[in-house]
Amino acid sequence: MSFIEVKNVSKTFKISKRRSGVPGMLANLFVPKFEKKEAVKNIGFNIEKGEMVGFIGPNGAGKSTTIKMLSGILYPDSGEINVGGYIPYKQRKSYVGRIGVVFGQKSQLQWDLPVIDSFELMKAIYSVPDDVYKKNLSRFTEMLDMSGFIEQPVRQLSLGQKMRADIVAALIHSPEIVFFDEPTIGVDVVGKETIRSFIRELNEQDNVTMIFTTHDMQDIEKTCKRLIIIDEGSKVYDGTLSGIREKYGTSRQLDVEFGCMEDISSIDKVDIIELENNKKRFVFESRDVHINELMNHLLSNYSVRDINISEPEIESIIRRIYNKEVVEA
Amino acid sequence: MRLSPYIAYAKKCFLGRSAYRFDHIMDIISTCMQFFIFCEIYKALYGGSSEIDGITMPMITTNFVLAMGLNAVFYPDDYFLPNKIWDGSIATELLRPISFKGRMIAENLGNALFSLIFHFLPVLIIAVLTVGVSAPASAVMFLLFLLSAALGFGVLWAISFAVQMTAFWLINIWSLITIKNVFVNVLSGSMIPLWFMPEWMRGVLDFTPFSSIYFTPVQIYLGQLSYGEIALKCAVQLVWIAVIYLVGDILWKKGQQKLVVQGG
Amino acid sequence: MKDVLHLIGMYTKTTAKSWFQYRVDAVLKSLAVFLREATGIIVIWFTLLKFDDLNGWNIYEMLFLFSLLFLTYGIMIIFFTGLRDFGSTVRSGNFDRFILRPRGLLFQIIFVNSDWFAALGHGGLGITLFLISAGKVGIRWNMYNAVYYIFTVAGGVLIQGAVFLFLATLNIYLLQTNSLKGLIYWNMRKFAGYPISIFHKAIQFFMIYVMPFAFVNYFPAQYLLRKDDMSDYPEIFMYLTPAVGIVMYLIAYLFWRFSIRFYKSSGN
Repeated sequence: MSFIEVKNVSKTFKISKRRSGVPGMLANLFVPKFEKKEAVKNIGFNIEKGEMVGFIGPNGAGKSTTIKMLSGILYPDSGEINVGGYIPYKQRKSYVGRIGVVFGQKSQLQWDLPVIDSFELMKAIYSVPDDVYKKNLSRFTEMLDMSGFIEQPVRQLSLGQKMRADIVAALIHSPEIVFFDEPTIGVDVVGKETIRSFIRELNEQDNVTMIFTTHDMQDIEKTCKRLIIIDEGSKVYDGTLSGIREKYGTSRQLDVEFGCMEDISSIDKVDIIELENNKKRFVFESRDVHINELMNHLLSNYSVRDINISEPEIESIIRRIYNKEVVEA
Repeated sequence: MRLSPYIAYAKKCFLGRSAYRFDHIMDIISTCMQFFIFCEIYKALYGGSSEIDGITMPMITTNFVLAMGLNAVFYPDDYFLPNKIWDGSIATELLRPISFKGRMIAENLGNALFSLIFHFLPVLIIAVLTVGVSAPASAVMFLLFLLSAALGFGVLWAISFAVQMTAFWLINIWSLITIKNVFVNVLSGSMIPLWFMPEWMRGVLDFTPFSSIYFTPVQIYLGQLSYGEIALKCAVQLVWIAVIYLVGDILWKKGQQKLVVQGG
Repeated sequence: MKDVLHLIGMYTKTTAKSWFQYRVDAVLKSLAVFLREATGIIVIWFTLLKFDDLNGWNIYEMLFLFSLLFLTYGIMIIFFTGLRDFGSTVRSGNFDRFILRPRGLLFQIIFVNSDWFAALGHGGLGITLFLISAGKVGIRWNMYNAVYYIFTVAGGVLIQGAVFLFLATLNIYLLQTNSLKGLIYWNMRKFAGYPISIFHKAIQFFMIYVMPFAFVNYFPAQYLLRKDDMSDYPEIFMYLTPAVGIVMYLIAYLFWRFSIRFYKSSGN
C-alpha cells in the first residue's frame, strides 16, 4: 500500500450556460441550463512517502482540481483517494492537520498585519506546541532568509517575500505532506532559487512528501525526480524527468559549421535547415538515423569547421505533448 | 484634451453594469418596494386628511419617486480612489497619460446614465401606473427641473470627490463615507420630505449643500418656486459645486505629494 | 476547550489589530454605524414632530419598537459577521482555506471575523433607544416581564441569525446572493421598526411568514404595550418569538449541513 493512492478518480463540473435577454435571464434563474465539463477523467497514481512529484499540464488541464480533491476541498464524483490512511474529503478535520497547502495565487497571510502575527494565528489554529513552533519558526526563517521582514506588515512586502512567508505559514505545523500550487508564480529569479532550494532541503531532511503544480519547468527540473503530466483531465505521462526525454525526446539536432558554402540538398530521413554563415542544422529521429553514420558522412564529404549536437529542451517536448505533436516512442 | 479615452471609460462602466442583470432587477424591485412602503407610511400618517400644511398626498408621492429615482441615479462610486490607494494601484494609475479626475467623472457619468435609463425610468413608470405621480407644473418647469437635477448631481459628486481625497491620509475611509451618506440621506429629502422638517431645521438646511441635491429639483418640478427663486437656488447649487470641488482639488494636489503607496 | 478559547482569543485579537492599523477609521467606525442606523430614527423623529402619532403609536412607543430591532442585531452580528460576508468568502476562495484547517467550518466562519464596530453601533443604538423609551411607554417592569424580554431578545437574535445562515448557504449554489439579501433582509429591515399594522396586507404577510421581523420586535412589543392594533392578529403570536427563532435556526442549520457537500470550489 502506497502512502498516497489515487484510483480511477473522476470529477465533473456543471457549468451554467447563460441565456441572453431578460426572459433568458429569468429562465436562467428558475430553470438553469447546465453543461458538463469533465475536469478530471479516471486518473490514478501512487505516491510513496517522502517523494517529490511535479504536476504539470496546460491551463484547465485538471491540476488544481486534482490537488483540491487530494487536499479534501472537493469530493470526487467517483474513484478512491487514500492519503496516509485517510480519506481526505470524509475525514477532513483529522486529515488536514497533517497537510500543508500553499496557493501561489492566494495568500493566507493577514494583509494589514506583520508577518509574525499570521504565524502566531497558525500556531493557535493548528494547536502547535510552543517548542515545535519556536524550532520551526527559527529554522524556516533562517532557511528562507526572512529575518529582515518578519516584523513588517504583509502589505509592504514584495511578491517574493510574501511567497516565502506564505510557505512558512503553511509549514509551521510540521505537515507530513505539502501541496504547492504554483509556488513561484511572479517571483524573481533569485527568489525562485531560494524557494526551490528550501523545498529540496526540507524534502531531504524531513522526508516530507511534496506535490507541486507549476508552469515553470525550471521548478520541476531543479526539485522533482518524478513528473506527472495531465492534459484534458487525463494522465498522459508519469515517470522521471529523464524518462520523458527517452520516451518522447527522441529527436536530435546537429548544428554544423562548414568551411565554405556547401550544397547538401538531401539526406534520407534528415531535415536540413539553413542557418547563417555557412551553418546548417540537421534534425532527425535517433531511432531512424544513426548519429555516427551521419557524422561520418558529413566529415568525410565536406569541410567541417565545428559541430555541435543537442537534445531538444524539455519545455519544447512538453509543449509538443500538449499539442499532440508527439506520440510515445 | 482628447475626449475619446474618457468616452471609452464611460462606455465601459455603462456596459459593465448591464452584465449584472439579476442584481439590477433586484435593485429596481428594491427601489419600488421602498417607494410603496413610504407611501403606505404617509397614508397612515395622513389618516384620511387630504392635505396637511398645503402638502397633498400626490405631492408626497411625487417627492418620493423623484428623490428616490434621483438617488438611484446619483450614485458616485465613493470608493473609486480609496480602493486604489488601499491596494496600491494608484501609483500606476497616475502614470497613465490621462487625467485621473477626468476618468473618475467619466466612469461616474457612465454609471449614472445607465441608472437613469434602466433604473429611474422603470421605477418612474411603475410608480405612475400604480400609485400615480403628478405631472410637472409646466414644460418650462420640467426643463428647469432637469437642469437643477443635473446641478444636484454635481453637488453630490463634488461632496463624494472631496471626501474621497481624505483617503490619501487616512487610507481606509469607510466611516467617513458612511457618515457622509447619513447626512445626504437625512438632509437631502430622499427619506423625509423636507416640508415636514421643523422650521429651525429648514433654516439650518439653507446653509448646507444637502437640500440642493434632491429637494430643489423636486420643488421646481412641482412648481413651488418662482423664476426668481429658481435662479437663486440654481446659483446656490453652482456655488456649492465650485466651493466643494475647490476644497477637494486642494486635497487632491496635497494628497499626491504625500502619496503613501501601499504594497510593493 | 481551553485550546478552542485560546483560538477564539487569537481570532479576536487578530481582527482587532487589523482594524486598529487605521486608527481614525477604527474610532469613527462605530460612530458611523450608529449614525447610519440612526438615520431611520431621525426620520421617524422628525416625522412624528409633525404628525404626533402613527396609527396610535407615539414617538416613545416607536423608539421602543426600534430598540428591539437594533439590540438583537447588535448581539447577532458579534457571532454572525462571517455569515453576513460569506458570499465574498466563497468568491475570493477563502472558504477553501477554511476547509484546509483542522477546525469546524461554522466555527471558523463565526469566529474568524467579528464586526465589533457594527455590534457596538447597532447594540449601542438599541440600548440608547431602550433607555430613552422604556420608562415612558407605561411598562410596569417586573420579574415576568424581564424574563419574557430576555427570551424574546434571544429569539430575535436566532431569527436573524437563521436568515443569515440560510442566505449564506444559498451561496453554495449561487455565486451572487447580495441583491437577494438586500431585497429580503436589508430593505425590509429599514421598515421593520414601524408597526406592521400600517402596511398593505402583502407586506404584513411577508413580515410575519417570510422574513419574520414581526416576531423580532412588533409582537413582543405588543405583549409589553398592548396597543389596539394587536386585535388584527392572533393573541398567541406574542408568545412565539423564542419558538420561531429555534425552529428557523434548526431548519437553516440542517439546510447548511445538507448543502455543504455540494460546495464547488470556485476560482482559477
